[in-house]
Amino acid sequence: MNPVTAERSAGRRAGLALEFEGLGYRYSGSEVAALAEVSLAIEPGEFIVLAGGSGSGKTSLLRAGCGLIPHFHGGEIAGAARVGGRSILESGPGELADVVGYVAQDPETQIVSTTVAAELDLPLRFRGDHPAERARAVEEVALALGIPHLLPRTVTTLSGGELQRVALAVALVTRPPLILLDEPTSQLDPVSGDELIWLLRRLNEEWGVAVVLAEHRLERCLPAADRVVAMDEGRIGFDGTPRDFLAWAIANKPELATPSALMFAGSDIEPLPVGVRDARQILRARDSGGDQPPNRWPDAPGKRGRGLDSGSRAGSSVALEAKRLWVELDPGDGPVDVLRGIDLEVQAGERVALMGRNGAGKSTLLRAAAGLIDPVSGRIRAPGGIALLTQNPGDFLVRERVGDELSGPAGEAALGAVGLDVSPDRDPRDLSGGERQRLALAIALAGRMEGEAVPGLVCLDEPTRGMDRGLKGHLTELAGRLSGQGAAVVISTHDVEFAVSFADRVVLLGDGEVVADAEMPTVLSGGWYFASEAARVLDQPGLVSVEQGIEFLKRET
Amino acid sequence: MKKLSPIAFVPRRETVQSASLAPVALYLGAYLLVCFFSSDPLVLVFATAGAALAGYGCGAGRAVNFSLKLGAFLALTMVIVNALVTSRGATVLARLGDWPLLGQVEVTAEAIAAGMLIGLRVIGTMVVIGVWSACVDPDRILQAVHGIARRSALTATLISRLVPLAATDYARIGEAAELRGPAASPVSRGAMVHRLLAGSLDRAVDVAATLELRGYGLSAESTRFRPAPSRFDRRFWIGGLLLTLLAFFELLAGSGRFVTYPGISYPVGAEGPLAALTFLLCGFVTWRRGGRGVRR
Repeated sequence: MNPVTAERSAGRRAGLALEFEGLGYRYSGSEVAALAEVSLAIEPGEFIVLAGGSGSGKTSLLRAGCGLIPHFHGGEIAGAARVGGRSILESGPGELADVVGYVAQDPETQIVSTTVAAELDLPLRFRGDHPAERARAVEEVALALGIPHLLPRTVTTLSGGELQRVALAVALVTRPPLILLDEPTSQLDPVSGDELIWLLRRLNEEWGVAVVLAEHRLERCLPAADRVVAMDEGRIGFDGTPRDFLAWAIANKPELATPSALMFAGSDIEPLPVGVRDARQILRARDSGGDQPPNRWPDAPGKRGRGLDSGSRAGSSVALEAKRLWVELDPGDGPVDVLRGIDLEVQAGERVALMGRNGAGKSTLLRAAAGLIDPVSGRIRAPGGIALLTQNPGDFLVRERVGDELSGPAGEAALGAVGLDVSPDRDPRDLSGGERQRLALAIALAGRMEGEAVPGLVCLDEPTRGMDRGLKGHLTELAGRLSGQGAAVVISTHDVEFAVSFADRVVLLGDGEVVADAEMPTVLSGGWYFASEAARVLDQPGLVSVEQGIEFLKRET
Repeated sequence: MKKLSPIAFVPRRETVQSASLAPVALYLGAYLLVCFFSSDPLVLVFATAGAALAGYGCGAGRAVNFSLKLGAFLALTMVIVNALVTSRGATVLARLGDWPLLGQVEVTAEAIAAGMLIGLRVIGTMVVIGVWSACVDPDRILQAVHGIARRSALTATLISRLVPLAATDYARIGEAAELRGPAASPVSRGAMVHRLLAGSLDRAVDVAATLELRGYGLSAESTRFRPAPSRFDRRFWIGGLLLTLLAFFELLAGSGRFVTYPGISYPVGAEGPLAALTFLLCGFVTWRRGGRGVRR
């Protein structure tokens, strides 16, 4: 047992919100243990971030914490687990609902009622609460989460961010002392993601709810955490404070470290910062000793917010051209302008990150480019052809063997181009998230990898959802390879750090209009929400990456 | 952006949506009964118009229009098919000679009239179902069923959630099939349906897990807390009872009033038009004046 856990669990078991003792678990039919010898104690009111790569056991741990393991998923379980003092072996998920709430990654499958009000009322009704108590509980949780205006809405009309808030509200409506969340921000834009994290922190502080939050984008949630638990191959690799976690991650798992921690570690600055505010305070304290003026990043663009004019890219061939593009969609209650007079030009070989809030029009723009939606006015064209990978790579995988999806030399060439080396007999649904992504892209590119057939434009719609940093690195390599072959690569993403690693240009959409279009360092160092962590810490125009940050900080010292 | 089906339930503060389930079921059930079983074209037309009026009155105009269009298409198909496959009837309008499978085809006025009668039933039934679907909250139906038959309610919950998701999934898989590269193996409809079913099973597991987490398996819920009655219940009880009695009377008394074979016969008495007019006027039960309180 980790010493920190051992100390915490000794003598305080009765009041624990969640406790695992030597928990081991293996899914039915699996030869590999999803959880092994997990011992963990969570006290009431703690805010815990659960870190770890894809497949490290985070989701299994959360499922065990709410009783879905073993009651729903079956499999073999060993050891003991107690939630609010109740054993998960003796009580099912429904019986544990008043002591633990659970929010899964995909909000679509977590909503079972027609309206938001009915969805919030459902657990209370199942519990047999009086209508007056139910009405008050629904009203209070809606107010606490800022969603009273959503109560009469049908769930099919909600955006991803709204759905995730509703799912959180449902988990909280029974006022459980513990809530478990499995990557709840993976489908949210930076604004909605930050709002959700701080909402959790507020609930934690004001209601005293213990929070266990599994996340990949740790830079977003570490500042809110009291403690970090890192999972590694089904075991607890680390359990301690966020600052100690960063030191451990830099020494053992650099892919889990936050950009500002990497930046400080690379510049030999101590202590490691837990978030932007902390980093700024450390730098301010360090600078207050000297009287020299702060340096300025020399690669800064002359003027912030400078847009890319067509002249700056003259001479290269056009891969995507949109002129006064208007696209109207009808969600069911009348047509809505989703794209409003977009003018955009992307040149061959460019790597463009398409960013913006949920509902800003990113997916619609890519779908219009692929001819899946007709504009109501203006035009859009991709003269060199387009390969589009839509948001769910699983939609491309319809057969039971990789070899049946892609056969022959052209298929093998496509697999080689995306760097996927798996047996043709494997079932596509058994591949990891990153492998599925690559296979889907290979399917979209098959037969388009040679000479004239190479598409002028390759578009990926939010491919980094649920990916850890290692998988995102593979995707960056792939984008670089495609752009090296002359294709323009446009990736719609909410992940600012991924955009820093991949893009040389950023187009920011807001309410169907282009609100910023410039070189990546200009856009991602010129704002707050759509800015990298390095940019937010150092606030130097044009400085966005960890490497630049290290160089800047070293130069300062 | 998600697109709502025209007959999908949309919460509104209208009469049908606000009233309790039982009186609304009685009221719309009476329309369904008469539209499905009546043999009187006048009654069918007026009952359909009444159901449409009921839909317009509670904000389900889009569902009514959709149902009318779909019903009209199906009705036209019925008329054509019945005219071609049925050679009964004394009034031959056209002799179309020998057709493969059908043999000697004669189009008779009686067969067309019989087809139109079936078509009228289809249109009326579609309109009633459209109004029900757009105005009655499925959650309330599930709540009602849950107390009586828990497993059926679970199945209904899964279906009500998974059908729209499956429709969305199928559209996305279809789009992905269009986006496949030229050297990727082409996707047949069979493969798409297979993939959809596999995906739906995965989703069903997720939805079932969600229900489990909400406490679906608990036995606490009982009928001791009934939903609060609505101020609109009385009008639906009265209208529903009147229509139900009338529907049974019409089915008993009106059968055989309109005869198609061997010749068309439709003696018009007083009771048919009277019943038809009642069905039409009862459509206004869903209507209400204004909606705002009067300031004194």
